Amino acid sequence: MASVELRGLTKKYGSLAVVDDISMVIEHGTLVCLLGPSGCGKTTTLRLIAGFVEPTAGEIRVGDRVVSSPQKTLPPERRNMSMIFQSYALWPHMTVAENIIYGLKLRKIDSATIKKKLDDILSTTRLAPLAERYPGELSGGQQQRVALARALIVEPETLLLDEPLSNLDANLREEMRFEVRRLHDAYRYTTVYVTHDQSEAMTTADVICVMNLGKIEQSGSPEDIYDRPRSEFVARFIGMSNVVKGKALDSNRVSIAGVPLRVTGEPLKVGGDAAVSIRQHQIALLATEPADKDNIIPAKVIRQVFLGSSRDYMVEVADGTQLRIVTGAAESIAPGATVWLRLPPERCRALTG
Amino acid sequence: MTIAVSDPPARMTHGFDYTKLVLYGFALVLCVLIVLPMSWLVYYAFVDKDGAFTLRNFATLVNDPTLLDPLITTFTLAFSTSLICCVVAAPMGWLVARTDMPLRRTVRLLVTASFVTPPFLGAIAWELLAAPNSGLINKVYRIVTGADADSHLFNIYSFPGLIFVVTCYTFPYVFVLVANALERTPSELEDASSILGASTWETARRVTVPLVLPAILAGALVAFLQAMTLFGSPAILALPAGFHTMTTKIWSLFQYPPKPELAAAASLPLLILTVILLRAEHTILGRRSYAVLGGKNSDPRLIRLGWLRWVALAMCFIVLLNPVFLPYAALFNATFSKVASQFISFSNFTVHNIHFVLFELSATKLALYNTFVLGIATATIGTVIAVVISYLTTREAVTGHKALGFLATAPVAIPGIVLGVGLFLSYTRPPFVLYGTLWILLLAFLTLAMPAAYQQMQSAFKAIHPELEDASRILGATRLKALRQITAPLLRTSVIATWCFVFVGTIRELSAAVMLFTSETKVISVLIFDLNESGDLAAISVLGLIMLVVTSGIVALANRLRLGGGSVRLRDN
Repeated sequence: MASVELRGLTKKYGSLAVVDDISMVIEHGTLVCLLGPSGCGKTTTLRLIAGFVEPTAGEIRVGDRVVSSPQKTLPPERRNMSMIFQSYALWPHMTVAENIIYGLKLRKIDSATIKKKLDDILSTTRLAPLAERYPGELSGGQQQRVALARALIVEPETLLLDEPLSNLDANLREEMRFEVRRLHDAYRYTTVYVTHDQSEAMTTADVICVMNLGKIEQSGSPEDIYDRPRSEFVARFIGMSNVVKGKALDSNRVSIAGVPLRVTGEPLKVGGDAAVSIRQHQIALLATEPADKDNIIPAKVIRQVFLGSSRDYMVEVADGTQLRIVTGAAESIAPGATVWLRLPPERCRALTG
Repeated sequence: MTIAVSDPPARMTHGFDYTKLVLYGFALVLCVLIVLPMSWLVYYAFVDKDGAFTLRNFATLVNDPTLLDPLITTFTLAFSTSLICCVVAAPMGWLVARTDMPLRRTVRLLVTASFVTPPFLGAIAWELLAAPNSGLINKVYRIVTGADADSHLFNIYSFPGLIFVVTCYTFPYVFVLVANALERTPSELEDASSILGASTWETARRVTVPLVLPAILAGALVAFLQAMTLFGSPAILALPAGFHTMTTKIWSLFQYPPKPELAAAASLPLLILTVILLRAEHTILGRRSYAVLGGKNSDPRLIRLGWLRWVALAMCFIVLLNPVFLPYAALFNATFSKVASQFISFSNFTVHNIHFVLFELSATKLALYNTFVLGIATATIGTVIAVVISYLTTREAVTGHKALGFLATAPVAIPGIVLGVGLFLSYTRPPFVLYGTLWILLLAFLTLAMPAAYQQMQSAFKAIHPELEDASRILGATRLKALRQITAPLLRTSVIATWCFVFVGTIRELSAAVMLFTSETKVISVLIFDLNESGDLAAISVLGLIMLVVTSGIVALANRLRLGGGSVRLRDN
């Protein structure tokens, strides 16, 4: 059983901390997604785990053995890990079959076993008819499956994936997301998956770690991250959120554009600046003033766009803050009209970050 | 790096020291190759006969007319050559890259043929063609016009003659730069102009030409540089005509009585100018990169020339008469004719020249042996050094790799004759007395070959995604194993191609060799140069044709192996 643990992991290039004091535990058999914009340090974190990069501070443990620390770093070949690279890194001078069995050959496994394992993985990944082709003769999706097969056949303790789907076109990407999850469920390795695509993370991950500027902003289940973002960065990066700013009136009320708004989340400091996030589709747009004034803010429609199954509104409240709202397609309100926004208190999350 | 040792910390320290050692080892080799001769060169330029500091050498350089005149001659030569090259080669490059002129591939091939012809051989061939009395063209002229025996149409032993011959073997540099730039310019840039309403010619004028202007400018600089540092052609054509260029003057300063201080002082301006011109070329070409950028490119749209395309083709062939058809014909004629300056006829045909060169001329065997030993040694050692250095620099395996890359490319700025002077000054004195051995020639050839070999291997390494090695490591291969199983097979063709080009560059080298040879260490290029002084043109033709066959065979082989780094710039001398 091998969990992977990062303790205060730091990587600096010069004075720039690309990975800045990251700590987390990846339980055995879970699929953890490192999610963040480019340059947030997610790929460096993955390469630290793989052993291609030596940490400046902190350590990485697999099970109870330290594999990386500033004093000594176990080379990648002795970590019993597998990795799928962004470029797939298929060796152009070897056939599909030769690529796949490379790791087994290094492990000095007898040829009968190799043959059996190869046949198994070829059928699982639906590559059997392509075994004797060269990588250059395959389509992007096929190359991707070869990369998967090559990584999985050695039955690693830990599987690392570096933006494995970013080179595929949209349809194939969607299909391969489920494929990655299916294979993970079938083999149950400890998996670390790096991506900048939030829906990819949502589909595949048990745990999502949102990273920004070398730090983990928030980690939790996809539901956690989506429904209960803790910082403005997470709220904006995951899903489409409005973030509005005001002053805290008491521990759970914020004044937004002169209207007191009840919010949930961490208790607020009275009189301090507060930021509140709310999803675009969770705001109700009312054409007439409601009798119940609870969490209602008046606003003016700036523009609206018909999107087929929904309508996309841009509205402006009294202090000039603009909010985007997604509503049903049925009701059309012309720009310039006054509307009333209902912001359900349980959907308004006070942000701490 | 090392293969697995049981104790991880020990393994790490061991690996660390090993790479450092490699770095320092190769840095030392490069320093000996480059820094040592250049330091002696500078030292000698600033001292007098007794070793005291002086600026007198430079004063002599400026005040002595026998030294100042060559300087002026060299500049005039380089400037004229550069200008004519652009006027001739740029339109040809455009015709080949962008128009529907017939036989475009053939024209390209023939330009390559003039590329691989050593300029000193071309100069000798033009002696056969246009020497005032014995030149074949002048003979035809006298027969056709009935002019008397003293008159001639051309005299190749003249300043215009020298400019002409140097241009013949320099224009391919401009041609290749322009044609490649045009081929790499996405045709979308031109389509964008057409869709906005510009006619084909207007598009060519307002978009295409400005886009390749940097390439033409860079080509002009390279042509200038080549003409300035060339030794062979001026030595063959200018000396009989009674004038000097800088390179021949430097060479003559080593003839009896030798004046090494003056030679060193005269070398420095050449060295400095070369560095400046190369920086300028780099800046100009560096800014052009936008033309190469930008996604998917379709094949360039060809401009229809109509009936003019036949005129264009005729013009190309008239140009190519001069570097290729006429000289080769002259060499063939001299090879199989009893008298080099007479046309082959039934009574005149002979294979005796071939027999003479191969079996009777005592110097041939030694020179052939020396040339091939040096060629193979230089190509092998040079390729190995280039592979290791480019691995260290592209994979950024060690700190200090940048300095290593700089050292490896630095010799590109050292003209062959200047390096020859530097090596002569370094290795005729203790502690390293290598003068008179093949070792000093090996050092010279290695230094001259290093930049091209390094650039080749570096682009080959860059073409191999580092993740290919990483993938092998993570699946359990050590660094060495990953290199052997993944990187080495992928590099094989580039290594062979690099080896071929170093070999070819070495066997045609003259300007450094002519400073460093002794009677026991002659190579073919020097032998040809010697035979020219004794007037044995038939023997030269045989040797020259052997050299051409070997050279073009190897170049063809290397080209078939698809080079990663695009065209290779051969050094001329």
